[in-house]
Amino acid sequence: MVTTTAAAPATRGRSRHGRLGRGLRIGGSIAATLVFLFPVLWMISTSLKLPRDIFASPPRWLSTVTWENYTSYFTQADIGPRMVNTIIVALGSGLLSIVAGAMAGYALARLPIRGSGLIGGLILASRGVPPIALAVPMFLVARRFNLTDQHITLILAYCTFLIPYVMWLMRSFFMALPKELEESAMLDGASRLGAFFRIIVPCTLPGLISTLIFSIILAWEELLFALVLTNRNAATIPVAIAGMAADTEQGAMWGPLTAVGTLTVIPVVVFALFVQKWLIKGLAEGATKG
Amino acid sequence: MSTKTETEAVGSAVAPPTAPADMSPRRRPLGDRLKDIGGRWLFLAPALIILVAVLAYPLFYTIQISFAELDLSTFTPAKNVGWLNYRTVLEDPGFLNSLKVTGVYLALALPLQMILGFGIAFLLNAEWRGRGVLRALFLIPMVVVPVVAGGVWKMLLDPMWGFVNYLLGLVGIDPINWLADPTLAMVSLVLIDTWRWTPFVVLIASAGIMSLPGDVFEAAKVDGAGWFATLRKVTLPLLAPVILAAFIVRWLGAVKMFDIALAATKGGPGQATDVVNLYIYEKAFRGLEFGTASSMATLVLAITMLLTFLFLRLNRFLEKRW
Repeated sequence: MVTTTAAAPATRGRSRHGRLGRGLRIGGSIAATLVFLFPVLWMISTSLKLPRDIFASPPRWLSTVTWENYTSYFTQADIGPRMVNTIIVALGSGLLSIVAGAMAGYALARLPIRGSGLIGGLILASRGVPPIALAVPMFLVARRFNLTDQHITLILAYCTFLIPYVMWLMRSFFMALPKELEESAMLDGASRLGAFFRIIVPCTLPGLISTLIFSIILAWEELLFALVLTNRNAATIPVAIAGMAADTEQGAMWGPLTAVGTLTVIPVVVFALFVQKWLIKGLAEGATKG
Repeated sequence: MSTKTETEAVGSAVAPPTAPADMSPRRRPLGDRLKDIGGRWLFLAPALIILVAVLAYPLFYTIQISFAELDLSTFTPAKNVGWLNYRTVLEDPGFLNSLKVTGVYLALALPLQMILGFGIAFLLNAEWRGRGVLRALFLIPMVVVPVVAGGVWKMLLDPMWGFVNYLLGLVGIDPINWLADPTLAMVSLVLIDTWRWTPFVVLIASAGIMSLPGDVFEAAKVDGAGWFATLRKVTLPLLAPVILAAFIVRWLGAVKMFDIALAATKGGPGQATDVVNLYIYEKAFRGLEFGTASSMATLVLAITMLLTFLFLRLNRFLEKRW
């Protein structure tokens, strides 16, 4: 934080070195981000191209900009309602999983429960279950209870992989906290649950928010369960895209495919940028308190 | 002991075990102690109830189907065939090949993603104004729906029109048919998967790095520890739980990978990228062989459980050691 400009020569040398290192790190991080973003930029630029320019040699960044890829497909494929479905399902399953998963993660990290190692291992290993193994029985059960094509069915189905995921990550974040934190709160008369929500949760806010973001993303892009468990009312964007992708074999659908791909990226990016502010705010508060 | 805990794990989602024998009685009233135990289980209850309902139940159903022949008109197990499905599966060269392919993919992709992910997280941790935005931008590859991601990479890797070959052409390398050569197809698959999932490791690593206590680093600096010594003696040990957790989550995600393979290579050329889940998927939903597909799923589950168990043991060992 404090720059030591007027200090001894040795220290100054090190700080100049530090400044160079910092510059390299910033440059490196920008370069890495650009490399990783390149395919996305390519997708966006393709979505704005005329069909004849999509496959051009040498490749072109842009042709005459056209919105045709966005308008033509939109009218046929009910993209709007499906976007709403995707948002409902992703937020619903993300929030449900973060509450249930974080509580379980805390229990496994801190509370003396007999067999907690085994329970944790079982829950975690369940994330390795191939979704195919669950899709057929889920479909049958949903049909029996008249729950096919409902948002809640998909939300619960997504909990199968989100809860273990949240539980495991949050467990590691909780373990990184000093034990004295909630012990002192409980000595002051807070209940275990109270201490958890008022002390532990705020302290692990960065981990909690990044876990939530990933849960929402995982739910956002899930294809198989959505394909099997919905057909119209609750169908999500990946289902619509899968239908289009089948047509890309003929080579004509690249434009619309990249257009819808671009559109699905936007809400999550907006969300992530928005949450990023909170993430840093939470961190800053945590730092000043500590 | 082990049978006891097993029944607990399965049966006690709602009912907490009463009178635990190993709790040393500290002269507290029984009511208090029960309340305490109840309080502990309260934390686990929501997760366990949901998971038993939507995960354990379908899973047992899958295992049941794996021993049966499924009646396709009613989607119910028609008759019990014993271990027949399992024998069919174990004699199926396609299935054994898919296990091998999955192993190769995991061995290449996981270490690459972990190293890149933590490396980039350290880069992104340099303090400056843009880092929050960069972190958020870094997430974008993960957000691209797999089917689209596979398509975009197919375009980039196209032998005739693709941008990658165009770049290689600029430095005088002849066009490479990435997805048509068995070895290169696997390399491409690992490349695409790494592009998609490194951001995950980056974010988890960033969150871990950010929650490290700053005073320890101040102390290391005061003691005159260099950059590398700090990394090796302070940062890595403190980060160990997060690194291991990220690895295990990534491992469990990678084991299930199939959408990228489906979108980019469809398992080809030949069966060079036919990962096990893609193979099971094809068997179940194209071949409608639900019985054998369920046997494969059960076997994959068993292998995954075993390896995860080993990783967890290693994890606990390392957590204790550091």
